[in-house]
Amino acid sequence: MTKLWRRHRWWLTPTLLILPAAVLFSVVILASAVESLWISLHEWDGFSPMVWIGLGNYRELFADPQFYVSLKNNLIWLVMFMLAPPLGLAIALLVSQKIRGMRLLKSLFFIPLVLASVAVGVVFTWVYTPEFGLLALIFRTFGATAPAVLSDENFVTFAVVIAALWPQIAFCMVLYLAGLNNLSEDLIGAGRVDGARGWNMLRHIVLPQLTQVTFIAIAVTVVGALRSFDMVSVMTSGGPFGSSEVLAYQMFEQSIFSYRFGYGAAIASVLFVIMAVFIAWYLTRMIRADERGG
Amino acid sequence: MTSLELRQIQKNYGTYHALRGIDLSVEQGEFIVTVGPSGCGKSTLLKIIAGLETVSTGEILINNRDVTTTEPGERGIAMVFQSYALYPHMTVAENMGFGLRMAHRPKAEIDAAVLRAAKILRITDQLDKRPKQLSGGQRQRVAIGRAITRSPDVFLFDEPLSNLDAALRTQMRVELSDLHARLGATMVYVTHDQTEAMTMASRIVVLNRGSVEQVGAPLELYRNPANLFVAGFLGAPRMNFFEVTVAAVSGGAATLSTAGLSPLAVELTEAASVQVGDRVTMGIRPESISLAAEGTASFAGRVRLVEHLGRETILYADAGPLQCVSSESGSGNVTVQIGHASAVSADATVGLKVEPRDVYLFSSVDERTISARKPTITD
Amino acid sequence: MFPRPIPETAIWQRRLYVVLVVGILIVWLAPLFAIILTSFRSTQDVMGGNLWGWPTQFGLVDNYTAVFTQTPMARYFLNSLTITIPSVIGVLILSTLAGFVLARYRFRGNMLVFALFVGGNFLPHQIMMIPVRDLMVRLNLYDTMSALIIFHIAFQTGFATLFMRNFIAALPGELFQAARAEGATPFQTLVHVVVPLVRPALAALAILLFTFIWNDYFWAVVLTISDTVKPVTAGLANLRGEWISAWNLISAGTIVVALPPVAMFFLMQKHFITGLTMGAVKG
Repeated sequence: MTKLWRRHRWWLTPTLLILPAAVLFSVVILASAVESLWISLHEWDGFSPMVWIGLGNYRELFADPQFYVSLKNNLIWLVMFMLAPPLGLAIALLVSQKIRGMRLLKSLFFIPLVLASVAVGVVFTWVYTPEFGLLALIFRTFGATAPAVLSDENFVTFAVVIAALWPQIAFCMVLYLAGLNNLSEDLIGAGRVDGARGWNMLRHIVLPQLTQVTFIAIAVTVVGALRSFDMVSVMTSGGPFGSSEVLAYQMFEQSIFSYRFGYGAAIASVLFVIMAVFIAWYLTRMIRADERGG
Repeated sequence: MTSLELRQIQKNYGTYHALRGIDLSVEQGEFIVTVGPSGCGKSTLLKIIAGLETVSTGEILINNRDVTTTEPGERGIAMVFQSYALYPHMTVAENMGFGLRMAHRPKAEIDAAVLRAAKILRITDQLDKRPKQLSGGQRQRVAIGRAITRSPDVFLFDEPLSNLDAALRTQMRVELSDLHARLGATMVYVTHDQTEAMTMASRIVVLNRGSVEQVGAPLELYRNPANLFVAGFLGAPRMNFFEVTVAAVSGGAATLSTAGLSPLAVELTEAASVQVGDRVTMGIRPESISLAAEGTASFAGRVRLVEHLGRETILYADAGPLQCVSSESGSGNVTVQIGHASAVSADATVGLKVEPRDVYLFSSVDERTISARKPTITD
Repeated sequence: MFPRPIPETAIWQRRLYVVLVVGILIVWLAPLFAIILTSFRSTQDVMGGNLWGWPTQFGLVDNYTAVFTQTPMARYFLNSLTITIPSVIGVLILSTLAGFVLARYRFRGNMLVFALFVGGNFLPHQIMMIPVRDLMVRLNLYDTMSALIIFHIAFQTGFATLFMRNFIAALPGELFQAARAEGATPFQTLVHVVVPLVRPALAALAILLFTFIWNDYFWAVVLTISDTVKPVTAGLANLRGEWISAWNLISAGTIVVALPPVAMFFLMQKHFITGLTMGAVKG
């Protein structure tokens, strides 16, 4: 036994070490993802046996007006979320001064990032509350009446996205601050000697060194926008009349509230495909960078 | 007694042949230094001896035991790494005793072994420090101490001095030679620095492109390089090489002629088959060329650059039609090393003399040395 | 635009700059200030519509006492701790083991396994929702804290393995060769070399994971329904439904939910930032 172990431990040990993580991750995460694709081809209420209906759920989905509302809202999320990297960079540039007390100010800027999204949702629901909220207060100061943004079909998604942007900007700011910390002093010095200042310095010396960070910030932001669920759930429950639903929320609602697991799985699968295209692109970039010795 | 033996070691990475059949036999107590340009396979060879890399084919024997597939820890080797590879979270003593601790040896035995090694290296007062608190030289000593603690059959060194500054490197060189003498252990040492090879080795192994070019005592390799590569690799400044034609062959000597050079008759090895009209490569070490009066000179050169180093002077001379094909300066100029401070100045034209017994000849076909053996000791 | 260092001597400029930053910070955190101020208000003021005027009386103590005594918030809070702490420990162990293997052993499929860990991490949670919920139902774990713990360990292991693998891969390779040459077995190397060296990474990872898991809302509502197992995030969403316009209490509840990660963040700020950037920059 001992001899067998000694002879084989060079490969047995690593196998045993990676096994718990690999098994748990593949069973709970990866297999579940694949299983969802399978379920999406069935009619299923979660209790009775599944009934094979082929692409029936997808046919229904592509004819469902609510699906297009969700898709449009996801697109709004994606586009508006693209504000996070530039705004994060702007704040990072603003606070990256080495002055006493700056550290504390910096960390105060980080706070939205560590707040639970539920908390952010509640905070902004309060801000948006008609008559009493902060928004109403500001409008009143200017003699106007604030619209009830969360119950207005035209404003609601924008209002939710603005709330979600708050922590996302903070996230991008953290990334950019780290990037600014790692700038090559030599290059900045060389730039100064060559007379680059202000905008030119930013454009030609600083930003080129931040491409890696920008790539990550955009990636994180895209994933964040597509994943959006918590804010919608907490702030509007998809309302009014489904006008603020996104794919993630619509899927949840169909499965948990309407017991249409097959249909929910189909929505999840569409979301997955959108994300997969993105992941594939991102992974190839990352692996290529790794092979270059990054 | 044979301490380490390599038989036909080959290492392939896909279609790339890192080592192409290495044979080497090391006697107990020898200090073998493996040198070669970067990428020649010397580090791979050392890792293969250590067991950190596997061989593609071939056998490794340590004290006559086949260890080709044995785990590194069970081969009876200890290795000193270029970066020292000290564990930053352990004290010096813990670092040195790590191997014994992993083998579950009793604490008293470990402590004794660590103390013994620390005494040899005079680092007993550093035992409780962490690597971060030590200077480069001290870290180097700890790394060597860690090897000594294991009392291995063979010590392996992977460019251990390359991270030290020049002064410290000289000092550690002397200490390593001294350590070798005191321990009497077998050591295999890899470096790209020919000074380390020349000063420390009992025998030097010159590696190039995965093959052994020559094995021998330092002075033997310096005086009798087996081929053009070894001749060019050992010696600083580098040997001057010229393309010349054989004008006559008589009495085991070839007379060389080429434009700008007065005829030189160089003795050949018996094995050499040289005919009149053959092109051969002529090699002359910079220190074999001396300043001479017009009539006695072998060739004349116009001094392009003078480097005054105090105890010696290096000249780079343009010898007109006699162009170097490969030399220190890389410009076709002849490198001349004069063993004293010389008054020669740039732009002067000087006569340069070389004795035929100092001239090397290499075959243009296979680059082997075809000039006769030279005595290793010249006085 | 690149921030030229403001010179030490230009006091006037520095003051102006600090005032500017503080001004922006106030706007930035205004929503938070609004909720904090509201959590200080008395119920009478809130019911009477006096939300921004000078308070007639303070409700600070009353509000926070009410949150803990009149609602299951204390229970939720305890649940959150019971879920988060074992999850974090579990992820740290699994990801150190897996990260070590992926960083230090070359085997066919190494890159594939790594890519799966990383890729799985980007999956939308909804794609796993139905099967995971079904799995927990079948395992009789639905509506228990174990369900959440198992899921969080499984999911966060993806990110954490990426994190640990990159950290261990960045350690000098010669340390591992030295350990091998000294006769250490892979397991001895893990215990005596890897674990001591990755401590800073573990600290950074631990606080990140704590934040992620504590803040999770989606899985809390998918896998739990009872008050006895629900974490604070799902609990807070519940309370909002019950209290509707008792904004002083909702605000106090929100602060309670938000506090632990914020406190962790301020206590271990350096680790948090290194962790976040290390994880993100490499992945």
